[in-house]
Amino acid sequence: MQQVTRRWWLMASFGAPFTLGLSASALRVRLDGDDLRVAAPQFRFLTGMPLEKLKDGATVVFLTQLSISTEVNGPAIKRAVDRFVVSYDLWEEKFSVMENGADRARVSHLSSTAAEAWCLDHLAVGIGGLAPDKPFWVRLELRAEDARDQAGVLDGTGINLTRLIEIFSNPARAQQMRSEQVAGPMRLSDLKKESRSARSG
Amino acid sequence: MNIRPRPIALKSLTAKVILLWHGCCISHAMKYSLISLLVSGISLWGGNQQPLLEPTEFNVNSKYTVESIELSREIETRISHGLRQDIERLIGEKLNPAALNDLSRRIRSELHVRDVTQKVLRGNVPDHVKVVLDVAGRKNEWDLSVPKIVYHSTQGLSGAVEGTAILGSNRITAGLVSDGDDLAERYTGIRARYENRRVGSDRVRFRFNFASYHEQWNSSTLSALGKDASVPGIYRTRQDFSPEATILLAKPLTLSFGADFQSFDTQFPASRTQSANAAITTLRYERRIEGWGADQQELEASYSLRAATKALNSDFAYTRHRWQARYSITRGKHTVSDEALAGLIIGQAPLFERFTLGNSTLLRGWNKYDLDPLGGSRVVHNSVDYRYSMVDVFYDTGAIWDPGQDAVVRHSVGVGIRKGSFMVAMAFPIKGGRASPILMVGMNY
Repeated sequence: MQQVTRRWWLMASFGAPFTLGLSASALRVRLDGDDLRVAAPQFRFLTGMPLEKLKDGATVVFLTQLSISTEVNGPAIKRAVDRFVVSYDLWEEKFSVMENGADRARVSHLSSTAAEAWCLDHLAVGIGGLAPDKPFWVRLELRAEDARDQAGVLDGTGINLTRLIEIFSNPARAQQMRSEQVAGPMRLSDLKKESRSARSG
Repeated sequence: MNIRPRPIALKSLTAKVILLWHGCCISHAMKYSLISLLVSGISLWGGNQQPLLEPTEFNVNSKYTVESIELSREIETRISHGLRQDIERLIGEKLNPAALNDLSRRIRSELHVRDVTQKVLRGNVPDHVKVVLDVAGRKNEWDLSVPKIVYHSTQGLSGAVEGTAILGSNRITAGLVSDGDDLAERYTGIRARYENRRVGSDRVRFRFNFASYHEQWNSSTLSALGKDASVPGIYRTRQDFSPEATILLAKPLTLSFGADFQSFDTQFPASRTQSANAAITTLRYERRIEGWGADQQELEASYSLRAATKALNSDFAYTRHRWQARYSITRGKHTVSDEALAGLIIGQAPLFERFTLGNSTLLRGWNKYDLDPLGGSRVVHNSVDYRYSMVDVFYDTGAIWDPGQDAVVRHSVGVGIRKGSFMVAMAFPIKGGRASPILMVGMNY
């Protein structure tokens, strides 16, 4: 058996935060019927400048894209985009979120982590046409909406998906808050197994 | 009785302008360049029209009542009466982010600032909020601006570009300029400026200007110079150093004073360096008078004096007086303005001090080299502008002369399209015989 030396402990102590940090940023992907959904408890976006704006009584709009690709940095073969309008109740000190997508769901009296989780929970990308044993990657992208990108995002019926996809196909602006998380490679067959075991367990 | 302004059909107006141009026997090439400039100007304006977004966003604080709206000192002192009234109307109402955004846009437009920040804070009473509006601006920033750019069909292109570093109350500006519009000469070169906008107090400012130019002269000026020995000769280069302080005497009244040291290399009769060093002072009055309703009146008046004296080691001794007044009244989309100017030079002043008429701002439609290629030491001018929405019509009248000459009063009329700082205009001199119109296109002129 390999001896545990002082050097090993030293490396482990320095390496642990890095390893934990990597694992903490990972997306948790699960199958929900014919959709993939994600959770990322360590993924925080109600921080920094967006949070400052919210606490100044303004609304902040976040654009999200959840996509599937068959290569780690490859083009998306499936994607779902959405838009969330967040505001902060100055007296109750709680967050409210409104989704601009098809559901137009709305929620209030949430803590910041609950509001973030609510947004991610409303993201789902369909798996139709995805081969069960073909590896794929799931990418979550989030940006605070820039005022210059607002034109054409909303139309009479709701959000303009083409316009949102176009925004995500361009690089984010220098001052724009953005974040990205990737999970993979994974297979649909493995996710189905996990889903079954979770239901039976 | 309701009197409604008669709408002006832009297409027919443009067509009439083009027909008029055609009637004035302009060459085909110039005619087509005019048409393309007009079309591109209108397209440029059209392209800037962003559709307004519907206030679809929800803000959870909309359920709270606005207790107060605090304005920063810069906003408080400079906004119009009408805008202030609209701001006050929001107090006591539920918070309306769309209305606040609209007010911020109007403040930006009135104050010509880049951005206005909004903060909504808890009020002193439960379920009430207070709004704080301020002009956004970092303590340190960098700004690039175009103080002037104009194409004049007889004088060519004139323009300047400046970069400014703002460090607290200090501003350091450097830029390039090539201007064949203002003076009898075309001066091309660099300009730099240091300005402290708060010397101990908000009421005192200090500025130091430096400029170095290379001059070009029109053939009309050169031939006129040979016939008139009373006007000093031309120069190839010119440098200008000018320290100046400004004191806010009372709210609408400011006094500037300082010195201006100009040195220039003359070419005739011999190549040598001469200087025109002057004490300078300007008294300026600016006031915005706001009536009830939508009326808005502005009054600006100034008197400036430049006194070059041997005591400042100047090769020239002269005094240059300049009086200017401008009054404008705006009601809805209608604006009428009148601007008057008078100038007088006593003594022999170098060419850059002499007055000119027949450029892009004074006696528009006339060619300054036809009027007085050397400029004049006496000038009077008046300009009346009427503007409806973006259509501008104007009537200029003025005279320029030297002692011993008769003052001949000349007139011109013009029409233009103005949107913000952009303007395309055509001006016609009123005179017997063939009148060639002059086209002007540009910004901030």
